[in-house]
Amino acid sequence: MENKEVNTQDTVMTPDVYKKTFWRTFPLQACFCFERMQNVGFAYMMVPALKKLYTDKKDISDALKRHLAIFNTTPAVVSFIAGASIAMEEKFKKAKDNGEEVDEESINAVKTALMGPLAGIGDSFFWGTFRIIGAGIGTSLAAKGSILGAILFLLIYNIPHLLVRYYGLKMGYKSGVGFLASMNEGGVVAVLTEVAKVLGLLVVGSMCASMVSISTPFVFHLNGTKIVLQEIFDGIIKGFLPLGFTFVVYALLEKGMKSTTLLWGILILGIVCSFFGIL
Amino acid sequence: MSIVQALLLGLLGGIGIWDSRVGGMWMIDRPLVLGPLVGLILGDFTTGIVVGGSLELIMMGVVGIGSATPPDTVSGTILATAFAIVSKLDVSAAVALALPIASLGQVVGILVRTANGFFIHMADKAAEEADFGGIDRALWGGAFLFFIAYFLLVFLGAYLGSSVISAFVKMIPKFVTNGLNAASGMLPALGIAILMQLLFDKKNAAFFFIGWALTALLSVNTVGTAVIGTAIAYTIYQYTISNRKNNVAVAVETDELSDDLGGEL
Repeated sequence: MENKEVNTQDTVMTPDVYKKTFWRTFPLQACFCFERMQNVGFAYMMVPALKKLYTDKKDISDALKRHLAIFNTTPAVVSFIAGASIAMEEKFKKAKDNGEEVDEESINAVKTALMGPLAGIGDSFFWGTFRIIGAGIGTSLAAKGSILGAILFLLIYNIPHLLVRYYGLKMGYKSGVGFLASMNEGGVVAVLTEVAKVLGLLVVGSMCASMVSISTPFVFHLNGTKIVLQEIFDGIIKGFLPLGFTFVVYALLEKGMKSTTLLWGILILGIVCSFFGIL
Repeated sequence: MSIVQALLLGLLGGIGIWDSRVGGMWMIDRPLVLGPLVGLILGDFTTGIVVGGSLELIMMGVVGIGSATPPDTVSGTILATAFAIVSKLDVSAAVALALPIASLGQVVGILVRTANGFFIHMADKAAEEADFGGIDRALWGGAFLFFIAYFLLVFLGAYLGSSVISAFVKMIPKFVTNGLNAASGMLPALGIAILMQLLFDKKNAAFFFIGWALTALLSVNTVGTAVIGTAIAYTIYQYTISNRKNNVAVAVETDELSDDLGGEL
């Protein structure tokens, strides 16, 4: 229904605007600042569409101010919100031209409502899944000195990244807010996020086994028998130490310990244990 | 290290930070990718690859989610890899160097992200005057500040640091090097634990252990686990979606049942 309306009337999303907006989705964080985060990047992204839509100076000024409000989401999925925002700007402009009362500030309300859930999906897919799978495969090849590791890593991450970035703009514009709302209603967003977590966790679990390495050269003598501590651990279950250690670190993080503190703590632990010959 | 190499490393620093600023995050700023590039500049490609891969494991959990500024993987990777190649350090020493440098890079990052407030207000003014070009200028102003800050950090660090670092590394006692080596085996646990905070909960905890068991006990590598994981994820998706549809149908028929079936994924 929404599509028809867009297609039969003049659309602000000409191929030219589409191309320009797509390129402008990349430097989202170029002017990142704690005060309003990605706000300048968002306004920058909206420029081609706003230029086409508004001619009145006051309208332009209001629209730019609107899109300079605080904004923060996963960069890879931002084009969806850009598309939806352009669709809303266009709809409101038309309504206003027809003499209807509109509240443009609701555009910001929708942007704010979208950026949270989208960042949730974006983070779990791009950070928690594609990047982890890519890094898992990449680091194992890099350890052998092969450049294929870096290349595969870039491909595994960037093919979905560019597809989502390009088609996200189209989807956001065509189906606008309605699409995400209907997905949310059917629970598809929640299922997708959950499924991404499952895949991410499997790979993270595998990496815990292959990449964390702890072994102890510690040997002690009990009633004249030589006991090698590492053999005891291996006897219980292979890879027990790395798994246990990972969970200790996880528990400390959950307790609110800062990752930087833990980082230095592990370094010091390594040196101290090495001094006493435990590690 | 020649001044030209230091300048090239500085440029790589600027490009590295631009990946997430101007590029929209292509992962060029990760150690896995920067390491080989440093190797290329300094003429030891293989060492660059290997050190980059090791640093990736340690910095895997270091990501800029939300608004926080993480330790800077760009300056940490470039300088540590460069020192490892120039001073012929082993991987564990490079890892130990990368962390303090990344913390310094983090401070630089926080400064730039604060200073960019200037450009935000420039953008506000442009909006006031309905000046589209002003928005563009503000954005590229911030981008320039990021570039120049990381260029200088890496260039100066590489140019001034390499001789200081080699002299310093020679003084390190053996047990410290051993300890750093042990620590570099343990540090990926931190990266994994940070990821677990993002992914792990009571509901899906089993999948972590399945992944772990596949590799630890059955020697399936990461690629294999990813393939099995995709199959499992796909199955769960299909079942949950069709279950939901059934639930909706059931809920319509009998309201009482919906309490038991709905809600939990």
